[in-house]
Amino acid sequence: MSVLRPLDKLPGLNMATILLVGVEDALLQQLADSMLKEDCASEMRVHLAKSLPLPSNVNRPRIDLVVFVINLHSKYSLQNVEKSLCHLDAGFFLGKVCFLATGAGQDSHCSIHRNTVRKLAHTYRSPLLFCDLEVDGFRASMAQRLVRMLQICAGHVPGVSALNLLSLLRSPESPPLEEL
Amino acid sequence: MNQQGLDPGSTTDMEVVTDIEEELIKACEEMWKDMEECQNKLSLIGAETLSNSNAQLSLLIMQVKCLTAELSQWHKETPEITPLTEDVLITLGKEEFQKLSHDLEMVLSTIQSKNENLKEELEREQQWLDEQQEIMKSLNVIYSELKKQVVTFSESRIFNELKTKILYIKEFKEKLLITLGEFLEDHFPLPNGTLKKKKKNIQEATKQLITLHEVLEILINRLFDVPHDPYVKISDSFWPPYIELLLRNGIALRHPEDPTRIRLEAFHQ
Repeated sequence: MSVLRPLDKLPGLNMATILLVGVEDALLQQLADSMLKEDCASEMRVHLAKSLPLPSNVNRPRIDLVVFVINLHSKYSLQNVEKSLCHLDAGFFLGKVCFLATGAGQDSHCSIHRNTVRKLAHTYRSPLLFCDLEVDGFRASMAQRLVRMLQICAGHVPGVSALNLLSLLRSPESPPLEEL
Repeated sequence: MNQQGLDPGSTTDMEVVTDIEEELIKACEEMWKDMEECQNKLSLIGAETLSNSNAQLSLLIMQVKCLTAELSQWHKETPEITPLTEDVLITLGKEEFQKLSHDLEMVLSTIQSKNENLKEELEREQQWLDEQQEIMKSLNVIYSELKKQVVTFSESRIFNELKTKILYIKEFKEKLLITLGEFLEDHFPLPNGTLKKKKKNIQEATKQLITLHEVLEILINRLFDVPHDPYVKISDSFWPPYIELLLRNGIALRHPEDPTRIRLEAFHQ
């Protein structure tokens, strides 16, 4: 059982790599396309995976940011993410992981409560973003946001580390989370 | 003086630049070596996965450690600034000026094109204005001519015209009246001598008869003088056949209650 670790390889020149994990291939592909359309000073790579662990026999660049995409309409997608989390090194949770919940817009279709996802993100001390990836405009802005995060996580923004960003992202959410 | 000072300097400039480049490359290589060392150290550390139960606490501890480490790193580090030597300043200034001049050139070209557009527009407007002024002039000429004509019209000509028209109409009316009178005399004469001879006694006993012309005149005058009561009493001087003629042809009407009175049909209404 291979565990994905941060900083396991030397970085490529000006290269930033993001890994999107989720069961819905089509949504991940659309999100990846939107991200690649964004303006980015770094050379960006987007990798898609259904679940972790990743096959160990492939030569892949250093992963700078892992995004777990959870579809609130399917319990399976949550279970898949929970299983995948066991194959990630603890070092990733220092700002290089984020959860992305999609489908919250259609409340009647949701089979997972939003608080369940909130608890999960809180347990792993990682930011949780909500976005309906099926809406083009929302997806584009989320892609932009992820690109910015990726640049920071890859260390391409001077003076800001992934951990810095994590502490900035989480602070306003803290009070309600304690109440859960 | 400055020129002489700069010329010998330019040869040393090149040396300085290459020196700086070499220094930078050296620094980069050292950094890369450091990174490789760190990477080796990192790879020695075993992976650690989290379970749901222990995740929060261990992550918080890790975060504290890392944040403290980052903090102390920031404290230790003194920000390096590029040495403000003359060469660096000159290069930076050159870049800045080139950017500025490029921007200014863009501004200049846009303003020039705008200027040209405005000039063309001005010409067009000027031409239009000239045309309008020409039109104004000719209109003014026409206006003053018309004004003169209007004065003569109003004072003499129209007056004369109206006068002649009135005269003409008056004449026409006279003619019409005379013609109508003649027509009546010709076609509707009073009963002549033959009748007189046969009924001499009756005629002499009755009043002198009046012509149809006169009857009509009486009826017309009554209609216009007393419009609210246009009826005329049938007197003996009206010849009964003519009255019958007028009534039958709808020229005169009998009073609905008094058969001895008649009026002229109101043709004018």
